[in-house]
Amino acid sequence: MATPRELTISSVMTQTLTPTIADRLRAIVGQNHVITHPDRLVAYESDGLTAYRVVPRAVVLPETTEQVSRVLAVLHGEGIDVVPRGAGTGLSGGALPTPDGVIVGTARMNRILSIDEQDRLATAQPGVINARLTEATAPYGLYYAPDPSSQSACTLGGNVAENSGGPHCLKYGVTSRYVTGLTVVLADGEVVRFGGAGTEAVPSLDLVGLFIGSEGCFGIATEIEVRLLPAPEGVRTLLGIFDTMEAAGRAVTDIMASGLMPAAVEIVDHATIVAVEASVFAAGYPIDAGAALVIEFDGTEAGLDDDADRAEQCCVAADAREVRRATSEEERLGLWKGRKKAFGAMGRIAPDLLVQDATVPRTRLPEVLARITEIGQEYDLKIANVFHAGDGNLHPNILFDRQNADELDRVEKASREIMSLCVSVGGTITGEHGVGVDKRGYMPLVHNEVELEMLRRARWVFDPNGNLNPGKVLP
Amino acid sequence: MTLVHELRSALPDVAVRDPSELGGPIWPGMTPEFVASPSSTEDVSRLLVWAAQEDLGVLAVASGSHADPVSDGRFVALDTSLLSGIEEYEPADLTITAGAGTRFATVDDALRENGQWAPFDPPAARDRSMGGLVSEAAHGSLWAGYGALKNHVLGATVVTGDGRVLRLGGKVVKNVAGYDLLRSVVGGRGRLCVLTSVCLRAFPLPPQERVLMISAASVAELIDSALAVGTAPVLPVSIVVAGPLEALDGRAALVVRLHGAESTVDADQAILETHVGTSFDRLTEASDGAARILSQLQDLGAVEDRCVEVSVLPSQLSGVVSAAADVGLGPMVVDSYAGRIRIGGSDLGVDPVGTLREAAEQAGGALRIVRWGRADFPTGTPQSMATAMLSERLESIFDPGGVLWPARS
Repeated sequence: MATPRELTISSVMTQTLTPTIADRLRAIVGQNHVITHPDRLVAYESDGLTAYRVVPRAVVLPETTEQVSRVLAVLHGEGIDVVPRGAGTGLSGGALPTPDGVIVGTARMNRILSIDEQDRLATAQPGVINARLTEATAPYGLYYAPDPSSQSACTLGGNVAENSGGPHCLKYGVTSRYVTGLTVVLADGEVVRFGGAGTEAVPSLDLVGLFIGSEGCFGIATEIEVRLLPAPEGVRTLLGIFDTMEAAGRAVTDIMASGLMPAAVEIVDHATIVAVEASVFAAGYPIDAGAALVIEFDGTEAGLDDDADRAEQCCVAADAREVRRATSEEERLGLWKGRKKAFGAMGRIAPDLLVQDATVPRTRLPEVLARITEIGQEYDLKIANVFHAGDGNLHPNILFDRQNADELDRVEKASREIMSLCVSVGGTITGEHGVGVDKRGYMPLVHNEVELEMLRRARWVFDPNGNLNPGKVLP
Repeated sequence: MTLVHELRSALPDVAVRDPSELGGPIWPGMTPEFVASPSSTEDVSRLLVWAAQEDLGVLAVASGSHADPVSDGRFVALDTSLLSGIEEYEPADLTITAGAGTRFATVDDALRENGQWAPFDPPAARDRSMGGLVSEAAHGSLWAGYGALKNHVLGATVVTGDGRVLRLGGKVVKNVAGYDLLRSVVGGRGRLCVLTSVCLRAFPLPPQERVLMISAASVAELIDSALAVGTAPVLPVSIVVAGPLEALDGRAALVVRLHGAESTVDADQAILETHVGTSFDRLTEASDGAARILSQLQDLGAVEDRCVEVSVLPSQLSGVVSAAADVGLGPMVVDSYAGRIRIGGSDLGVDPVGTLREAAEQAGGALRIVRWGRADFPTGTPQSMATAMLSERLESIFDPGGVLWPARS
């Protein structure tokens, strides 16, 4: 696995694009939409995983499927690697440039192409921001369910590439449940159509499902058809304050076993609470609390108070110190604030933040969290945990300074231990952020060599030359 | 030495039976050389390697209810029924892992003992095997509320055509560690690999189920109401029109199912009735035999000798249902939220099915043959050249020697 030190701007020599190739690309997408000036390319040197930085050779910003097809055909013909990029909010380095590659960005492909109220479908270009789709469908009483924490910035194309989840996927499921069809441009520029609502009876293998989560290695999705849901009539949000993480975990287990189906069950730990309360995002969580549990129900207004009452009883039975219930949208946002602003708050404590991502069986959460605390102590690192407790998806956040080589080394070692720990209890190395470059080295923890070889062959199915997003996913 | 003797010599732990011991042909017009019943993933792997060496095809079957070979050639039936039993169940984690040959009834019973269930209800589900259900991506009318089966399959152990054992997915709900090969296996109909173990997501049983119904003389008369339910501000877990139903003396019914707390389903029913502009009958087990009606809905047409399935956008259903009725096709079950129509009967004809396919394709949809005898086999909607090419490549990496039998066209 490449380490952050190996993949930095200072250590990688970027090739420039020849004027001839740049001109051919400009002829396709327009004069202003091929970026080759070094000062402007720096903006694309990393995605949300800032520990890795490589300046790309060029950035091309097409606007249509046809332009993407022609751009990829040119780059394929020249044997130039392509790195697809949405908003660059990914946290695993999936959009990290390669030094001899060109970024194909979807920023200009930001149109919602259709909204079908009757069939509850929408079709959008990949550069549409996740939250914007819900805003656009709200007048029809509909919304798009997957809600990654970065939904105000991340794009649908990126969501497809990473099979993104979010706090509310506990009840509603992740991106793959909602994407019904894709228009995809393959590495050589061929345009193909996968799936499509109403065509499920075609006896094809599930290429839509296989493409989702392929991290830009199989093709570039240029049109995304998604299923919409009726917007819930009401919502109830609770905040449980617990003295210990173990007690919060008991409450979660009881809630999930009770037959309730919360829309979201989120926990922040003591270290996160302290960070949030010391920041401008202070949410009023007690700083001596061991854990804060956010529980949300949505659906028909009439049943929500019953659900909230039952969840509150579970919290009380698990020795919650206090349970707060929002009575207005303003209060609801207040209860969520400590969870939603956690990453921002931590960013003010240390120059760099590694947002880890792993999933474990829910019943193993208490022991895994305790061990993560020990790992932080062993490596003298600050680790704060924010996680989707309902589905066992952990986000241990490691605070560090990448200019400190020793600390960076300890971050890498602690990360590997955390990943090994999660796998050892039946979990996996990533629940929603993807593998990218960050977790390639951990793939052998969850796949043996036969399986890794099968993944390499799967990539060959779509991109025989391996020009699309090379160096990602596979070790 | 006969093939059977050779296999017994090579793989002494694999039980072998003569097809005649099965009490009749499972597959119309097709008879395997013999039936092999491995009891472990390793033996499945060895059997596939052996079959490749002997130039034999392999068709995995469990309950046998849906196998339907379409190609000629010598083949072995790989019976998965000994790959049976619940391997791991942790109720608090809401996951269950079972051998591919395990009957769904076994899994369902274990879940229900713990107040849980796996919310998919394809036809004849309880008698079918886990591997068969996953291989078919079989689904039922609960699609609206719980999504397709593929959303519930968390992981699987499979054996490729050349005997490689792969663990796909895992035992946790969220997992994006590598390309999602599991998705292509679910619904792959045995073209890619043999399933030996399946891990499913479980759900808590809903506190209440309310079953609502409107009846009419025909399915076509109920489609508009069904579509209205599908655009209501609340989403039922199931919206199905079916008919003719024996339980209703041959009439058709729109059946809507609501899950939730008592107060929730009360409110949902009121919202639906206001939105649709009509009152529903509330079915109860005591007075109406709700379970019998739901059972008929689940299986109607699906257990017949011939069965086809149509998919279209919900907004196009009326036209396609009318087209089916015009050529006398039925009985049918319409999942109006999914936009799917299932039609089954022993007397389905090639020409009427062809007419229905034309109507479906004109409406932007498709038709597939779920089951049919070998004679006068009608064709379903083909996939595009591009997806066919990618599918072939995918098949080639799973089954480079072409050992696995193409169970369906």
